[in-house]
Amino acid sequence: MTDFLAPVEETIAEAPPPQRGGGAVRYLLTKVGGAIMSVLMVVVLGFFLFRVMPGDPVTIMTRGRPVSGAQLDQLRAEHGFDQPILVQFWNYLVGLLHGDFGNSYAFNAPAGAIIGERLGPTLLLSGTAAVLAAALGLWLGAKTAWYRNGPLDRASTGVALVFWSIPPWWLGVVLLMIAGGVFPTGGMQSPDSPTALVPHALDVAHHMVLPVFTLVLAIYGQYQLVMRASLLEEMNSDYLTTARAKGLRDDMVRRRHALPNALLPTTTLVFLHLGMVVSGAITVEAVYSWPGLGQLTAEALEAKDLPLLQGIFIVLVIAVVIMNLVADVLLRVLDPRVRAS
Amino acid sequence: MTSPVWARRRAAAGRVWREFAANRGGLVGVVVLGLFVLTAILAPLLISESSLDVTRATGQRLESPSGDFPLGTDENGLSVLTLTLWGTRLSLVVGLAAAVLSVLIGTTVGILAGHFGGWLSAVLLRFTDFFLIMPSLVLAIALSAVLEGGAGTIILAIGVVSWPTSARLVRAQTLAVEARPYIERARALGGGHGHVIFKHVLPSVLPLVFVNTTLAVGTAIVAESTLRFLGLGSTSEITWGGLLRSASSSGAITYGAWWYLLPPGIAIVLLVLAFTLVGRALETVLNPKLRERR
Amino acid sequence: MLVRRRLAGAVSVIALVAVTVPWVAGAAQAQGEKVLRAGITQDLDSLNPFITITRVGTDLTRLTYEYLTTYDPKDYRPVPGLAEKWETSPDKLTWTFTIRSGAKWSDGQPITAADPAFTLNKMMTDKAAATANGNFVQGWESVTAPDDRTLVIRTKQPRSTMLALDIPIVPKHVWEKVTDFKAEPPLPLVGSGPFIVQDYKASQFIKLKANKDYWRGAPKIDALDFVYYKNVDAEVQALQKGDIDLMSRLVPAQYDALKNDPNIKLNTGAGRRLNEILINPGAASADGNPIGNGNPALKDVQLRKAIALAIDSRTLVDKVWGGYAVEAAGYIPPGFAEFHWPEKRKFDPAEANKMLDEAGYVRGADGVRADKTGKPLRLRLLGHAGTNLDEQGSKYITSWLKDIGIAVEPQMVADQKVNDATTAGNFDLAFSGWSANPDPDYVLSLQTCASRPNADGKGATPDSFLCDPEYDALYAQQLAETDRAKRIEIVKKMQQVLADRASLVILGYDNPLEAYRADRWAPFTTQPSSGGVIMNQQGYWGYYSATPGRTTDADAPAEAQGGGGNTGLVIGLVGGGVVVVLAGVLAFARLRRRGTADERE
Repeated sequence: MTDFLAPVEETIAEAPPPQRGGGAVRYLLTKVGGAIMSVLMVVVLGFFLFRVMPGDPVTIMTRGRPVSGAQLDQLRAEHGFDQPILVQFWNYLVGLLHGDFGNSYAFNAPAGAIIGERLGPTLLLSGTAAVLAAALGLWLGAKTAWYRNGPLDRASTGVALVFWSIPPWWLGVVLLMIAGGVFPTGGMQSPDSPTALVPHALDVAHHMVLPVFTLVLAIYGQYQLVMRASLLEEMNSDYLTTARAKGLRDDMVRRRHALPNALLPTTTLVFLHLGMVVSGAITVEAVYSWPGLGQLTAEALEAKDLPLLQGIFIVLVIAVVIMNLVADVLLRVLDPRVRAS
Repeated sequence: MTSPVWARRRAAAGRVWREFAANRGGLVGVVVLGLFVLTAILAPLLISESSLDVTRATGQRLESPSGDFPLGTDENGLSVLTLTLWGTRLSLVVGLAAAVLSVLIGTTVGILAGHFGGWLSAVLLRFTDFFLIMPSLVLAIALSAVLEGGAGTIILAIGVVSWPTSARLVRAQTLAVEARPYIERARALGGGHGHVIFKHVLPSVLPLVFVNTTLAVGTAIVAESTLRFLGLGSTSEITWGGLLRSASSSGAITYGAWWYLLPPGIAIVLLVLAFTLVGRALETVLNPKLRERR
Repeated sequence: MLVRRRLAGAVSVIALVAVTVPWVAGAAQAQGEKVLRAGITQDLDSLNPFITITRVGTDLTRLTYEYLTTYDPKDYRPVPGLAEKWETSPDKLTWTFTIRSGAKWSDGQPITAADPAFTLNKMMTDKAAATANGNFVQGWESVTAPDDRTLVIRTKQPRSTMLALDIPIVPKHVWEKVTDFKAEPPLPLVGSGPFIVQDYKASQFIKLKANKDYWRGAPKIDALDFVYYKNVDAEVQALQKGDIDLMSRLVPAQYDALKNDPNIKLNTGAGRRLNEILINPGAASADGNPIGNGNPALKDVQLRKAIALAIDSRTLVDKVWGGYAVEAAGYIPPGFAEFHWPEKRKFDPAEANKMLDEAGYVRGADGVRADKTGKPLRLRLLGHAGTNLDEQGSKYITSWLKDIGIAVEPQMVADQKVNDATTAGNFDLAFSGWSANPDPDYVLSLQTCASRPNADGKGATPDSFLCDPEYDALYAQQLAETDRAKRIEIVKKMQQVLADRASLVILGYDNPLEAYRADRWAPFTTQPSSGGVIMNQQGYWGYYSATPGRTTDADAPAEAQGGGGNTGLVIGLVGGGVVVVLAGVLAFARLRRRGTADERE
C-alpha cells in the first residue's frame, strides 16, 4: 500500500479536475506557488517536529560508551545543541538556503550526501515496483472491466482486494519465510558483486526479486481497482454508444476510445502515488535490509539524527510535490478533451 | 421530531438497508465484521486474565500447535490463539476510533471550506493540501514518538495524518449541495449558516461520510498494525501488529513458527477486507452520483 | 494489445533474472579469494578512529590499528601489541613502552614511537581528536618519544588502567597532514592491524583486506567483509544459504532452530553484559543537592535489600532468556571471570518479608505495605519498550514484589525516555544494563559520587546514583593499584559493597549467541578461550584466526527442537491459501451484486 492511509476509491478524487482552455500558465503558476508554500511549511515543521521527540541526541550518540561529562558537553557544543532554539532554527534556515542540510551525526557526514546516496536504491526499488505494479494493475483493470462479472473479473478483482488489504511488511515477512532460502534476503548487492555492468546488474536484479515482488503485490491492487472503475465509467459514456452505433467493432471501440480515456485518471494516480511509494517502502526496506531512504528514515529516527531527519522529510515532500506537478501537467497535456479545446 | 422530513428519512434508510441486504458481498462483510465484534465483546468472558500473564504461562517457548494450544505458543509460552482473539479488541477499537477521528476532522474542515468561501476556505484548503503531501508514515511515527503512550497516541497519530482525503471529498460534496436551488431558497427565507450547515448540508453529506468512514477503518487498521510493528505505542497492549512484531523479533521466521506469524496477519487481512467489502457495498447503495443519475 | 505484450516482456525479464543470476553470482564468487563474511546490524558512525564511538566502529579500528597493548584471547590479560614490553617507575607515574621494531604500516612505512607519541599528544591537545577516547588521556602529564623505539608517558596520579588504553594508534605520516580531526579519512585506511578497511557503503557492506605485512603474520584469508542485515531472521537465512559465514546476536529461538542444521556450528559463552534494576537511593546532583522525583522511602537500605531478595534471577534466566544467560552474582559479568565476584545473589521472599516486618513496614488491608510516613508503598518500574527482558521481566518483578507487599506499576517507554529519566533521577525502579570491558574501571566508575550529573540532570552518565564513601575510597584505591592481583581483590570487595548497598539489583547476564558455517571454516579463536565469543571481542583474535576448512565437532548438539521445518510451512501456506480463496469467494459474491447494480443503470 503506497499511500498507507488513503482508501482506494478516494485516491481518484485527488486527481485535479481537467480545466478547459486558456489560463494554462496561470493554472500552472498557482500550482507551483502552492507547492512552494507547502515546502516552506514543511521546512518549519520538520525542524520543530523532530526536536520535540524525546531523547537527548548526545546521550543517544554515546550510549554504552565510556564518556565523561566534559566530553558530553563538548559534543553538545559541537552540534550546537547548547544554543537557544531560535538560533539553531536560524542556522538551519541559513544552511538550507545554501543547500546544506547540516551534518548527520549518526554517519559523520553531510546529511545531503547521505540522502543522495540512498536516493538511488530507493528510486530503483520503488520505481521498478511502481512500473510493474502499474503495468499489472492497468492491464488487469482493463481486462476485468471489459469482461466484468466474468470469471476472470470475479477472481482477479477479489484477489486484488485481498492483496490490497495485506500490510506490505507482513507480506514481506511471510515471503521471507517462504522464499528466503532461494533468493537473497537482504541488501542490494553482494559485497563482491562483479564490477562489469551486466553481471552487476544481474546481481542487483537478483537481490531485487523479493522486495520488488512484495511491493508490487502490495500496490498493484489499487491500480487495478481504479482502472476497472474508471473504464466502467467510460464505457457507460454516451460517445461510446455513438461509436458503437456507427458500427465500429467492439474491440476497436475499446482500444481507440474507452481505454485511452480511462487510462488518464489512472496514470495520473500512478504519478500522484509515486512520491508516496518512497515513504511507503519504509517497512519493506526494513524487512529486506534495502539500503534506501525508507531504511535511512528508520535509522535516523532511532539515532534521533536531527539534520538527517529534517533532510529526509524535506526531500520526501519535495518528491511528492514534484510528482503532483508532473501529474497535473501530464493530465493537461494528455487529456484530449483539454487539448481539443 | 415527528416532522414528515424524518418519516421520509426513515423510509429512505429502510430502502438503503433493503438494497444493501441484496448485496451479498456486503452482507458477507457484515457477517465477518459481526464475528469480529462478537469476539471482541466476548473475549473477556472466554479468556481469563491469567492466560495472558507471562508469569503464569503454561506452555513452552514456540510450541507448535497441539490440543492444548490449537495455534501453538509464542516466545513466552502463551497461546497464540488466545492472544490473537484478545488482540481483536484493541485492533478493532483503535481502527474504528482512528477512522472516526480522521473523518470527523476531515468532515469539519471540508464543510467549513465548502460552505464559507473566501479566505477561510483558502486557508483550509492550503492546510489540507499541505497535509496531503506529507509523508504520512514518517509523520505518524514522529507524532507517536512525541506523544508516547498507548492506543490513544496511535489513534491520534493516525487521525491527524489521514484526514485530508475526506476533507477534499466532503468539500466537493458540500459545494455540489450548496449549488442546489433549495439551499438558495433556505437562505432567502433567512436561514443562517448554522441552519444551512446542520439542516441541509450535513444530512446530504452524511451518507458519503458514512461510506468514507467504513472504508477508512480498513486503512486505519493497517496503519495501526504498521505503527505497532515498528514498535510504537505501548508494547504492553496486545494487538495484532504488536504480536507480529514480537513474532519477528523473537526469531519466529527462522524457527518456522508459522502458527505465530500467520494468525495475526490473517486476522488483519480479514478484518480490513470485511470493512472494505461493506464500504464498497454501501458506496454502490449510497453513492450520491449514482443516486442523482437515477 | 500493447500493454499485454509489455507486461509479458517484463515478466519474462524477471523470470530470466531469477533463473540466471544465482549461476552468474556463483561464478563471480569462484575467483579463488578466501573471504570471511560476517553479518552485522549496527550502523557505522564513522571510520575516523578519533571519532567513532559505536560498537561496529571500535571493532573496525581494532582490526585496522594495532593498539599499544591488547587483551589476551585466553583471559583478557593485557599482552603486547605495538609495545613489546613496558615498565613503570617506582612512583608509578612514568610508563616507558618499548615499541617493537620491524612492524610496518600497511603502506610500507615503518612504525616508530613517533606514531603513538603523535596520536596521544594530538588527543591531549586537539578537542576533536579527543572525541571518542579522550577520557583515557585525562590526567596525563606528557607523552614523549625520546627515540624510535621508546615511548614515555607521564601521568599526574598512579593509574591502573595504563595497560588497558583502548586507543587506536594512527600513522603520523598520514595524519600529520590532517587539519580537521572530525573529517572522514580517505579510503583505504593506512593501518597496522591484521585487516585494513578498504571500502564502505553505508548500510550495505564494509570490506577489509588482509594485511600481509602484519607483524604477527599474515591472516590465513584474503579479505573480511561485513554485510549489513537489518532483519536478523534474514541474516540467519543468509547464513543457512551460505551468503554469509558468521553472525552474532541470535535470539534463543533462532539459536535452537539452527541446532538442526548440520552445516552450522553454534557458539555461546558467559555473558559480558550485566542487566540490572536500579533502585533510586535518593538521587542527587554532583554537588549533593537532591534531584529527580524518586520515592523517598527507597532511601532506606533495608527496603532496598528486601526488594533485591524478592527478585528471582533463576526464573528470569529460564523464562526470559530461554536458559541462555547466567544467574545473578557480582556486578562485573562472569564473562570477565578474573574480576567477577561469583557469590550468587539470594532469592528469599520469606526473609524479605521478615526484614520488612521488622523494619516497621506494616501491611495494609489490600496487602500493600505502608512506608514510614504511612503512605502505601507504590513504585514505578521504568523499562525500555520493545526489549524482551524489560517487558516480560517487569511482569515477573511486579508479581514478586506484590508478594512482599510492594505495589509496582511498570512503565515501558522509548529507550530515550528511559535514558532521560534515569539520568535526571526521575525514577523509583528502572531497568538498566552495561556491556563491561576487560578493564572494569569504567563500569565501576558509574557508581561513584563523581558520576552524578549537574543540577539540570546533564553532563554525566549516572547509573544508580549511589554515593557511598566506602565504595568511592575503594574505587580510588583500585584505580591506583598497579598490582593486578591486589586490584582484583579490591574490585571484588567493591562488588560486595554494591550488593550490600542494594542501590541496584543484578538480574543476570545474557549470553552472546553466535553461529558460523562449520562446512567452510575451522574453529575460530574465542575470547576468553573457554566460553568466549568470536565476534565483538576485545581484540581481533576471532577474525584473525579465520581458517578455511571444516569444524568437525562430533559433540555438536543436534537434538531436534521445535516443530519448525517444512511440514509446518506447508500447513501454514495451505491455511493462508484457504483464507485467500475464502476472500476471493466473498469478493465474488460482492461483484455479482455490483454487476447487477451496474446493469440496472
